[in-house]
Amino acid sequence: MGVKNHAVATRRLLGQAPGCYDLRPISMADFTGDDMSCDRCKKPATVHIKEISGGSVRELHLCEQCAASQGMVAQKHATFFESVNALIVGPHAEELQNLRCPDCGMTWREFKDLGLLGCVRDYEIFAVQLGPWIQTAQAGGTHHSGKTPNARQRNGPDYGRQKADIARMKVELARAVSDEDYRQAAELRDKIKAIEEKIS
Amino acid sequence: MLTLENMPDHLCQWLACNGPRHDVVVSSRVRLARNLMAFPFMTKASDVQRDQIQSTLRRQLLGIPAANGQLYVEMAATSDIDRQMLMERHLISRQLASADGSKGVFISDDETLSVMVNEEDHLRIQSIQPGLQIQSCWLHADKIDDQLEANLDFAFSDKLGYLTACPTNIGTGLRVSVMMHLPALQLTGKIDQIKQAAKDMRLAIRGLYGEGTEAFGDFYQISNQTTLGRSEQEILEEFSEQVIPRILEAEENARAILVAETPMVLDDRIGRALGVLRNARLLTAEEALFHLSFLRLGVALKRVSGIDLAHVNKLFLLSQTAHLQRTLSKPMDEITRKAARADFLREKLTGGTF
Ligand SMILES: [Zn+2]
Ligand SMILES: [Zn+2]
Repeated sequence: MGVKNHAVATRRLLGQAPGCYDLRPISMADFTGDDMSCDRCKKPATVHIKEISGGSVRELHLCEQCAASQGMVAQKHATFFESVNALIVGPHAEELQNLRCPDCGMTWREFKDLGLLGCVRDYEIFAVQLGPWIQTAQAGGTHHSGKTPNARQRNGPDYGRQKADIARMKVELARAVSDEDYRQAAELRDKIKAIEEKIS
Repeated sequence: MLTLENMPDHLCQWLACNGPRHDVVVSSRVRLARNLMAFPFMTKASDVQRDQIQSTLRRQLLGIPAANGQLYVEMAATSDIDRQMLMERHLISRQLASADGSKGVFISDDETLSVMVNEEDHLRIQSIQPGLQIQSCWLHADKIDDQLEANLDFAFSDKLGYLTACPTNIGTGLRVSVMMHLPALQLTGKIDQIKQAAKDMRLAIRGLYGEGTEAFGDFYQISNQTTLGRSEQEILEEFSEQVIPRILEAEENARAILVAETPMVLDDRIGRALGVLRNARLLTAEEALFHLSFLRLGVALKRVSGIDLAHVNKLFLLSQTAHLQRTLSKPMDEITRKAARADFLREKLTGGTF
């Protein structure tokens, strides 16, 4: 079932252009977050794996050699549909479909119907599935090149993440206070204060 | 000062015929998509959050100097006819015009800047200028973006750039859109070739009112589909130095061929258009656009004298449904609207010789 749905939603994302299925090889490293080093040997990681079981997600970042030694093959030259089909019909298909953003509640299934994401964090949560979509829709574009907000230039690359962390912790703080969990609230308050001091 | 009430009498700056290459290029537009980091995207924003987003952005927009205007229109308090009028003037999208809830638009006094709030993204900054002026649109939108960003935190990641609700807009969030009048390419049957070439270059070609609309009156909006991986300047330059000059040249060549090889066919079209516009008693919006398109071609090629392009552009806008209704300030059913449109065009086209 997933394959058909996916094709429909993909077309929505890409517009009508028929040529858009001609794909360049995808490297998984192209679409998972920031550059990372291998979890085992600290060389640059080129293989990124999301293991999903029982609703929890474990991420593995490995270099090619370590991945091979673990019996995993890098999907370096998979075509778009091969990699998408691998994601959709693979052993974790159902779990991937139901992967849910803890911040806004968006699921991958819902995104495919809407063509729209629910919050900034969805770009991390659905990174594995979104990667090939983005690369295709953006004609191979994977990295931003161009304008950067001034505040970020002044305050360094962590600025955005820190502001987002604060926003998230403020929501948690309000929840902790209304639940009368004062120890948790105090902890959050201190964390927020520490980050705010660092970026101000 | 610009208000919704006096808007129909106000000639949109972007319809003024003083832009470069206005004989073919009607207008240039640059749009930037931005979202506030502290709020979810629209799909997951609660009503309370939507209100908060709107009131924050409204306050900011009315306070920045480069915006040069004091008109903020809340959709919830706006009649259907005024929403349609804003859409006919290209100040809002169909999506903003039709949806309910906490949404609005800021409009500058000269209507060259409009900023939609709570459309698909929290912010859609749009700068529009007459003729081929892509860089000047960008400079204006960029400045507004800078001034807003001084007080707001926009969602941004180093890898993916500006983060948007739809992944097709991430990166620069920049959409360049040029509206062109291409009747000669249509007449000579070359328009399909242009459409195919545009597709190959990953450009979108849409009708007068954007997504899903037909190219009534041979007006086409050409815009980029990719926003990630290339800088703003690369996207802008591709448009102003490659894409648009090529289409412009093709249209010019097609016009020259019509004049040189089939002047009778050309004049027949123009004459029929004038004949209908000057004599019809009932006209739909589509029919009016169809004939005004040939009139515009005739004026641009100087085969009609005594009418200028600015006048024709004005007729395009004022003969559309919401404008007609607002100008005549009475509600109309379909037949009276058709009659009013025909009356209006007949009256405005008494001058001119062909
Ligand atoms: Zn390793
Ligand atoms: Zn989310």
